[in-house]
Amino acid sequence: MKKKLSVMMFTWEFPPRVIGGISPHVFFLSKSLAQSGVKVYVVTCDFPGAPAHEVIDGVDVYRVDSYKNPAPDFATWVYLMNLNMQKEAAAIVNKLGAKIDVFHAHDWLVATAGIGLKHVFRKPLLVTMHSTEIGRRDGLHTNTEKMIHETEAWLTYEAWKVICCSDYMVSHVRWAFGLPEDKLVMIPNGVNINVYDKIEADLASFRAKFALPEEKIVLYVGRLVYEKGIHVLINTVPKVLGKVNAKFIIVGSGYMKEQLLNIVRSMSLEHKVLFVGFADDETLLRLQKCADVSVVPSLFEPFGIVALEAMAAKSPVVVSDTGGLSEIVKHDVTGFKAYPNNPESLAWGITKILLDENYRNYIRENAYRQVQEKYDWEKIALQTKAIYQAVLGEYSKSFWA
Amino acid sequence: MVGQLAEYISALATQLVKSKVETYVVTYHDFLTGAVEDANGVKIVRVASPVHANIGVLTWILTLNQEVERAAANIYYQAAKQVDLINVYDWHFIPAAVTLKNALDVPFVYSVESLEDHRSPNSNTPYSMSIKSIEWLGFYEAKKVSVKSEWMRDEVVRIFNVPKEKVKVVSPTDSWIKDVLELYAGVAGGLGSR
Repeated sequence: MKKKLSVMMFTWEFPPRVIGGISPHVFFLSKSLAQSGVKVYVVTCDFPGAPAHEVIDGVDVYRVDSYKNPAPDFATWVYLMNLNMQKEAAAIVNKLGAKIDVFHAHDWLVATAGIGLKHVFRKPLLVTMHSTEIGRRDGLHTNTEKMIHETEAWLTYEAWKVICCSDYMVSHVRWAFGLPEDKLVMIPNGVNINVYDKIEADLASFRAKFALPEEKIVLYVGRLVYEKGIHVLINTVPKVLGKVNAKFIIVGSGYMKEQLLNIVRSMSLEHKVLFVGFADDETLLRLQKCADVSVVPSLFEPFGIVALEAMAAKSPVVVSDTGGLSEIVKHDVTGFKAYPNNPESLAWGITKILLDENYRNYIRENAYRQVQEKYDWEKIALQTKAIYQAVLGEYSKSFWA
Repeated sequence: MVGQLAEYISALATQLVKSKVETYVVTYHDFLTGAVEDANGVKIVRVASPVHANIGVLTWILTLNQEVERAAANIYYQAAKQVDLINVYDWHFIPAAVTLKNALDVPFVYSVESLEDHRSPNSNTPYSMSIKSIEWLGFYEAKKVSVKSEWMRDEVVRIFNVPKEKVKVVSPTDSWIKDVLELYAGVAGGLGSR
């Protein structure tokens, strides 16, 4: 019998540890890869109450002690955490008789673990670049930012292939690290449609907790940070309210929260903007189902998973025409694309969707169909598996094989 | 050269080669990187950290460790996996030694020149605590610990609770190389037997 292709993934977050988008990405990708016949091992950071080892739908998940070494700051903690992750993963691979075909790292947060194990076991390393420091910070201003940038560059240099989730990220990563074109691969991020099917049809009582029956719901989901453009959305509130009775529901937290609250207070619109904070999965899924429009006003967005989730929940989307969002949404077909950093344009889109029911339904159905066709995890897993196989084909001709 | 360790390692490696032990030294240099063999037959590989904008000694050391690991792994595979043991000096390259041990079953000896506890007495800054935790990892994962004096042996036992029999005193006296070879033989189960 032919041996199963096996991959070991490194990620600093995996459910129940959820910090950003990498956690759900690796969760669904690993499960879908396992379903497609790949043996997947995930090595990640520990989380209170989560077991050190468990098997989830065929995926072997190992959680390592990530606070074993005290650290003076976050970036140093990352490298120290990698020390431990690398040590534990080395022992796991050794115990498996070094029978791992490829290593797959997600972002710089696991760079040194991936690079080290690549050389120690002489197996190919792949990386998915979910974001970049130079993009997140709009430049490199401090030594920490430069260090992270150099670590990212080193990781992409060591990787056999660099996977990005959008064409925008492919060109951005290529520019940021000066990579050859044939090293980059675009595989989109996926979204799990099934979770929305399980939500009950009648959400009236749930909706009543957030908005009055006559109010339309405008939903924002994301961190309250500059790059997400939440301040642009807050500036649209009076413009939208001039035309439609709506409630703005803001899910997420971040360093801009107080600043945003002050702007809302200064406009005397506290009763129209609700800051929910971090929402659990159940609440979030229901809110997405209830939303009359979901807004993603980002200024920098490598992919824009929130827009895709909204589309899967059949909530019409208004996005800023930037980064990955530009590719996910087709203007006037699967959503409304507003000019980035432009409250007038954003307000125009929100108002149009809220006032025109035909337009709303047309966009909703188109978007849902596109999500089913293009962003299905099963298809994404097959594309990823094909990349693994292509890399292994090249590797088999190298002196490492 | 930073301290006296460079000359000590140079003398030790030369003596080991004379005693018919194939010896590789993996060390750091900012720009003279790569592999060379010196006049005495010691093979030296020098590496630098690929990350230049470091925010401190810790991030510099931890990124440099990957290059040390890469160089050591190359030696291991080029030597047809016949590496009997690794000898690591002080805390700096313990991360690499620990990974190589866990991945490839090559045991290591941790040689203590000095301890963070003595360099920064009573310091409990996160920086010092990090280094101490790496030293602890080295003591825990090492097969044997070598020190240069009885006093240091007592200190290692006192501070890190290392079992006394795990710590061996090897100092540059008349029986120096004989003691080193004896220590290595104990760790590798007889040199050349793997």
